[in-house]
Amino acid sequence: MPRARKGALVKCDPSIKALIIQIDTNKNDIILEELDDTHLLVDPAKVEFIKSELNRLMAQNIYDPLDEEEES
Amino acid sequence: MSEHQYQTRSKGTTFGNQDLDFSDDSVATNNSDYDIEGFDEEDDGDYGVSQGTKSKNGAGTRKNGNNGGRKTGKNARVSKVSSTNETLNKLAAKDQNFLHGLQRDAPADFVPDVVSGLFRASDFSYLKLKPDHASRPLWISPGDARVILESFSPLAEQAQDFLVTIAEPISRPSHIHEYKITAYSLYAAVSVGLETDDIIAVLDRLSKVPVADSITNFIKSATVSYGKVKLVIKHNRYFVETSQAEILQMLLKDPVIGALRIDSETSAASAAAVNQSSKVDGTDANGKDAKVDPHDVEAVFSSVVGELQLDDDNEDIDAVHAFEIANESVEIVKKRCQEIDYPVLEEYDFRNDHRNPNLDIDLKPSTQIRPYQEKSLSKMFGNGRARSGIIVLPCGAGKTLVGITAACTIKKSVIVLCTSSVSVMQWRQQFLQWCTLQPENVAVFTSDNKEMFQTESGLVVSTYSMVANTRNRSHDSQKVMDFLTGREWGFIILDEVHVVPAAMFRRVVTTIAAHAKLGLTATLVREDDKISDLNFLIGPKLYEANWMELSQKGHIANVQCAEVWCPMTAEFYQEYLRENARKRMLLYIMNPTKFQACQFLIQYHEKRGDKIIVFSDNVYALQEYALKLGKPFIYGSTPQQERMNILQNFQFNDQINTIFLSKVGDTSIDLPEATCLIQISSHYGSRRQEAQRLGRILRAKRRNDEGFNAFFYSLVSKDTQEMYYSTKRQAFLVDQGYAFKVITHLHGMETLPNLAYSTARERRELLQEVLLKNEEAAGIETGDDADNSVGRGGPGNKKAKSKAVRGEGSLSGLAGGEDMAYLEYSSNKNKDLRDHHPLIRKMYYRNMKK
Repeated sequence: MPRARKGALVKCDPSIKALIIQIDTNKNDIILEELDDTHLLVDPAKVEFIKSELNRLMAQNIYDPLDEEEES
Repeated sequence: MSEHQYQTRSKGTTFGNQDLDFSDDSVATNNSDYDIEGFDEEDDGDYGVSQGTKSKNGAGTRKNGNNGGRKTGKNARVSKVSSTNETLNKLAAKDQNFLHGLQRDAPADFVPDVVSGLFRASDFSYLKLKPDHASRPLWISPGDARVILESFSPLAEQAQDFLVTIAEPISRPSHIHEYKITAYSLYAAVSVGLETDDIIAVLDRLSKVPVADSITNFIKSATVSYGKVKLVIKHNRYFVETSQAEILQMLLKDPVIGALRIDSETSAASAAAVNQSSKVDGTDANGKDAKVDPHDVEAVFSSVVGELQLDDDNEDIDAVHAFEIANESVEIVKKRCQEIDYPVLEEYDFRNDHRNPNLDIDLKPSTQIRPYQEKSLSKMFGNGRARSGIIVLPCGAGKTLVGITAACTIKKSVIVLCTSSVSVMQWRQQFLQWCTLQPENVAVFTSDNKEMFQTESGLVVSTYSMVANTRNRSHDSQKVMDFLTGREWGFIILDEVHVVPAAMFRRVVTTIAAHAKLGLTATLVREDDKISDLNFLIGPKLYEANWMELSQKGHIANVQCAEVWCPMTAEFYQEYLRENARKRMLLYIMNPTKFQACQFLIQYHEKRGDKIIVFSDNVYALQEYALKLGKPFIYGSTPQQERMNILQNFQFNDQINTIFLSKVGDTSIDLPEATCLIQISSHYGSRRQEAQRLGRILRAKRRNDEGFNAFFYSLVSKDTQEMYYSTKRQAFLVDQGYAFKVITHLHGMETLPNLAYSTARERRELLQEVLLKNEEAAGIETGDDADNSVGRGGPGNKKAKSKAVRGEGSLSGLAGGEDMAYLEYSSNKNKDLRDHHPLIRKMYYRNMKK
């Protein structure tokens, strides 16, 4: 019997998809369905969490000269 | 008011309603040294809010270390080599003092406006613009002595000349330049003969707003003591010289220095007399010397900003006071002078040095010196004597010629130290090419050439490692070393000064007695904080060229820089997220998209007729890329013969338009044919490497062709750590005025015929192969580079085993593996690399199972 679930569609680059899967690996409560390379169906309640996690992870790859000035 | 604040600086602040400049720590560590009655507890809430707290705190503790001799954690780390660091700390503290003391100079009647609160301590609106501010090009931040210069102003060129002398260039893009006045830079300014009042007067003329008291005080406090005491070597005797009688008195009364004076009234008096006369001689000769004109900068300047009282002129009129000290006490006197805040300037009066035989050396008439080279030399020979210091010129801008001209000016025995035996030969050849020096006066001292010149004066070219070597030497090299240390040198040239570790330098500087020292480099940056050591060991930075200006004038090539973003393929990125840091590196280097981009760019530029160099720090990637694309490659273990072969083919064979180079090509491989550069992997965030690599194409032969552009591509895997490093690496070049374009998509890449890894299956195979590689492959090639060790490490059993294998490579590298003596090792190494990998892999997996 078919079952209906509410989900949010995420469209992203393959690398971002890989990141979301990475975020999901611990609890497996975010991704409902992997549709294809660039689309994911996720739990709508977790969208904000995904956003903040992505921001945090992506920030690690950005060099900000101002950060360094404060440290030195 | 401001004085009062200056004094209370270390106690914490007493101004209740203003944000604090110091954190708890600084107060806590200071509390036994200072009484803290003025400390206002209510300010706690403001800690950490005021900007720049961190750095100020650092200064607090640093200063404390100097005063009380106690070591805080931070201090303990830096004060290993106490004397140098103490001096450095002192200078840093001086900078910092200034920062604190002057935070609030606002006049009492200054009324903050509505937005003042937002700017906190950085609100400088109390400095009113001068009515004609539009025609004045610069502004000085009263808070941290940064100077902002409008480089489009008509006065900018003169202002730049002046600023380069008194401040350090921070960033010089096309429209707005940024400089910073530091205690060091003022030291350098004084050492080229500028006076405190002149500096302030000129700044005031150029500034849009009145120069803040904070800046004036800082300049005064930093220059008042600098350069007033000179250490002059004459007839191999050391004289401490000053133009002010009070200072002489003070020095003589000093318990340490006074005792070291060679004590007889007559000798002091006669020394003074000798000095006086020689001074006059010096300037006379100087006036006649067409090549070196100390007045040119000032002359240009005085025409713009009015009359300047020149220090040089004053000096000639004033009597010079001097006393002699014994040779062996020089070190102690120097140290003591640093301590009492009168650092000695070292100058070499080479024209009056009759003791050391002259060297018959002159520039050939055909040799042309470029204006900026002349300018840099005029800083060195400002008053007819040679000052020690560092000259910074971009790669390919003729550093060698600057060194040679300096040697021709001094005309005494010269020793040149460089980083590798390849550059030894280059220096030798350049000397013979540009000046009249006879080949029999030139000696080369490397591991396979141990020569001495037979004449009474001459030139020796050697490497740092040969001279600084402390291990047992062969009989021959010991003989040469005795020769080097046994005599007095007029001049020492230190090539690529930025790469040499301070300890090695100290050894070199102490073993070889040279009157004047000149350091040459293109990139005075390091990722560690060792760069300021050079200030102490060699001397101040005398001159730094402006890259953009040189490329506009056609002295170096015009370069288009681009950063190409290569998206990671999904499979690679998934693995990337799972792996540890070292394996990650391998994954983002071997990213198939990057490979495709590289392939595309090579094809594109080969069609345009460019000669391309591809750089990869990672040897595994280097081989994979080169083999797959069928291009020749050179890395650390490539035999010398093969290297020469490849390089020559690259230069003269129009079938070979692309070569792959590992880190060995970063410096000193001179390929004027190259016009395009692609970088696929690099040494983390090393700004120096980026600049050095760019330097490979700056000297492009075709640079003066109409509309010629050289290309510099940096391939970066998107969404990976590489992005971070890439931005960091570019910082230096961006400061020099280069702009990096970001290319997110190479148009037409997909349609390229026989594009590598275009199918998912090929990509998966590559991924499998990469994953099977052990972590060693991710490592950067070992070599004699100083900052190699950064980013290595990781404990464990497997680690220890693989280390033994790598040790072999690194040993031969460290011992000069590129040399003929190690040829056999090198060729075997090639096979070893391939054969050993499965073995290591097996061991690796066995360990894993256990």
